[in-house]
Amino acid sequence: MTATPTFTINRRQILKLAAVFGATATLAACSGPSLGAGAGSAEVAATDWTGITPAKEITWWSNHPGTSKLIEEEIIKRFNVENPDITVNLVTAGANYDEIAQKFQAASGTNSVPDLVLASDVWWFRYMINGQVLPLDDLAKHLEFDTDDFNKTLYDDYTFTGNHWAIPYARSTPLFYYNKAVWAKAGLPDRAPKTWAEFDEWAPKIAADGGVTPLGLGKGASWAAWWFCNMLWGQGGAYSDEWTMTLDTPEAIAAADYLQSLIYETKVATVAAVDQVADFGAGLTGCIMGSTGSLTGILKAATFEVGTGFLPEGPEGQACPTGGTGVAIAADRTPEQQLAAGMFLKFLTNSENTAYFSSNTGYMPVRTSARDGETMTKVYAEFPQFRTAVDQLETTRSQDWGRVFVPNADKELTTALEKIMLQQTDPADAFAVASTAIATSFDENVSPYL
Amino acid sequence: MPTIEDLQRDTDSAVAVAAPTSVATPAPPRTFTPRKKKKPWKSWLLFLLFAGPNVALLVVFTYKPLLQSLYYSTLQWNLGSASAIPVGLGNYVAWFTDPGTSRVVTVTLIFTVATVGGGMVIGLLFAVLLNRKLHGRGAARTIVVAPYVLSGVAVGLLWLFVFDPNFGITAALLDAIGVASPPWYNDPHWALVMVIIVYLWKNVGYVALIYLAALQSVPRDLLEAASLDGASPVRAFRNIVLPLLGPTTFFLSITTLLSSLQSFDIIQAMTRGGPLEGTTTMMYQIYQEGFQAGRAGYSSAVATILFAVLLVVTLIQMKYVEKRVHY
Repeated sequence: MTATPTFTINRRQILKLAAVFGATATLAACSGPSLGAGAGSAEVAATDWTGITPAKEITWWSNHPGTSKLIEEEIIKRFNVENPDITVNLVTAGANYDEIAQKFQAASGTNSVPDLVLASDVWWFRYMINGQVLPLDDLAKHLEFDTDDFNKTLYDDYTFTGNHWAIPYARSTPLFYYNKAVWAKAGLPDRAPKTWAEFDEWAPKIAADGGVTPLGLGKGASWAAWWFCNMLWGQGGAYSDEWTMTLDTPEAIAAADYLQSLIYETKVATVAAVDQVADFGAGLTGCIMGSTGSLTGILKAATFEVGTGFLPEGPEGQACPTGGTGVAIAADRTPEQQLAAGMFLKFLTNSENTAYFSSNTGYMPVRTSARDGETMTKVYAEFPQFRTAVDQLETTRSQDWGRVFVPNADKELTTALEKIMLQQTDPADAFAVASTAIATSFDENVSPYL
Repeated sequence: MPTIEDLQRDTDSAVAVAAPTSVATPAPPRTFTPRKKKKPWKSWLLFLLFAGPNVALLVVFTYKPLLQSLYYSTLQWNLGSASAIPVGLGNYVAWFTDPGTSRVVTVTLIFTVATVGGGMVIGLLFAVLLNRKLHGRGAARTIVVAPYVLSGVAVGLLWLFVFDPNFGITAALLDAIGVASPPWYNDPHWALVMVIIVYLWKNVGYVALIYLAALQSVPRDLLEAASLDGASPVRAFRNIVLPLLGPTTFFLSITTLLSSLQSFDIIQAMTRGGPLEGTTTMMYQIYQEGFQAGRAGYSSAVATILFAVLLVVTLIQMKYVEKRVHY
């Protein structure tokens, strides 16, 4: 038998312990952010780029969207032919945009900040208000970027306070995919429904004669609130008017009511358990709204012929959001490094490389010249579905601030939409909860930094 | 059996007996010279030499981040921003008054009770089974313990397919007996059940392994004596084996509780806290708020609350439970 050791502590030891903790606490308080609001984008000083020599080595953080690691490496090789003095280190800094952003934010204030970083539609604004990225207009002018050639919507997606904070790179939009075999069985014309009203007419035929659930819907963060833009805008609603949430409008409620009716009234839609693209590829659903970034994967995986079309219109017309990622330059680097990063960014997004990247991944060609160029023309000939995606680009619009610029907004909207889709919650109630949370988040996390 | 006092007395008497022999050759009078007191700085130097590296690592990687997190919890700070606004206890007030907090706490409690309680019971059952002399025991032990050494993310991804209601093996098995697959991914309650099952599958091997080692150290003679006295195996297990496993149960209750409250990988790989935040535990909320929402101050406040809960639970366990398990 052993006696239980007793742990005792006297007053002197307590004082010593307190002193150690106190000292460490002081040390802890010494590091971290400075106190007081307003250290955001406004504090980035303008740089005179003339007379600056580009750095010899820069780092680029990417998650290689569309499994593009080899493509990105090839573009770096081509850059080195023209600029043998600048080494570009390509770093896999995450599996998706969120992981890249988390690392980039956590690296703030350290020596580990990259020179170039992917900045997705829901992250670039946070980089900007945190003062982590450089306004690119002066640098682009100095390096003579051909910015007029960019698709205007895609380029202006990154505009705030009169500056551009990123350059479009791997950009996507939602696209309507349908199973041509199912369409044929249901006796439907070989095209996507022009409007949701037309889809409503077609859906019973798809279910009865096609033998599948007509529409597959995706849930989850970064996804549900993206494709729902189509129904929301199509009804004339919006998530927000600049910073004011507008989910209590009749138009917004009507959009959510329509979504709910597809699942619970007409029962022509189902919410995918894991991945609506996989369900569609396996022939479980007749059609889906997927990303154009999934185009190549869907065409490869499907055992049937896949048709593509514009997203169906609502009563207020065509409505399609943009998405994907751009590339930004870190603010916390030397002008030499920023200049070298700018040179590489110009090369990465030039017409030739845009076409090379798009043709190999399925992402949108962000430049008009690339869209109409020889490389992409060959791709359209081989995959006419790609042409639909590119044509739809002309109808897109930038997303509402209330979703993409406010921290946690996408999560709150996703929860609201999941309540509507999975629990048949009254849309007005679900949206009210989300709107309040987003408004609070704006007051706490955006407003003080603007 | 001689007691310590007896032994002490014997020793004293031996010295007493031996003493007269030394009288024949008297030794020089023994003067008491107090040992030179070690210089305090030398002791400190020695202490620093041995403990320094560990203390430095603990301070840098444990206590400093802990206190830093405590400090950040008093700030309204966007992760990545160079500036922050002091808000005192504002983040704590916000967490305690948030309508979603009760859901997060409930999910955390259910997940923790189910994984700790379930893990201990199932682990003990496995340990008892594996302690018996059965054919293929070695292979069975390996199979039970193997999931524990696998990466949580890999396990999560694997089970993601297993539970798929359209293509998964569970759907196929349930279909074979005419039962429809539950909506594992679309119903928050089923999703929680699902991640609990996967967590148990992964971690029960650890509990079984520790219990197995403890079972093998249970003295055979006690069990034989109980058997001779007519105790049934169940009674022997309840009245002899279980109490003897007390310290192991205590150890496991602390380690599994800590690991359960800190579990992240399986939830991240399978449900990302959803659907409808039905699998968002406090640990996952810390990640979501800190890294997805970028609310570093609020996230630090939740981390501090979780730390306080863990500390209190562990202290209670040490104060009350530990006393009952020593034998």
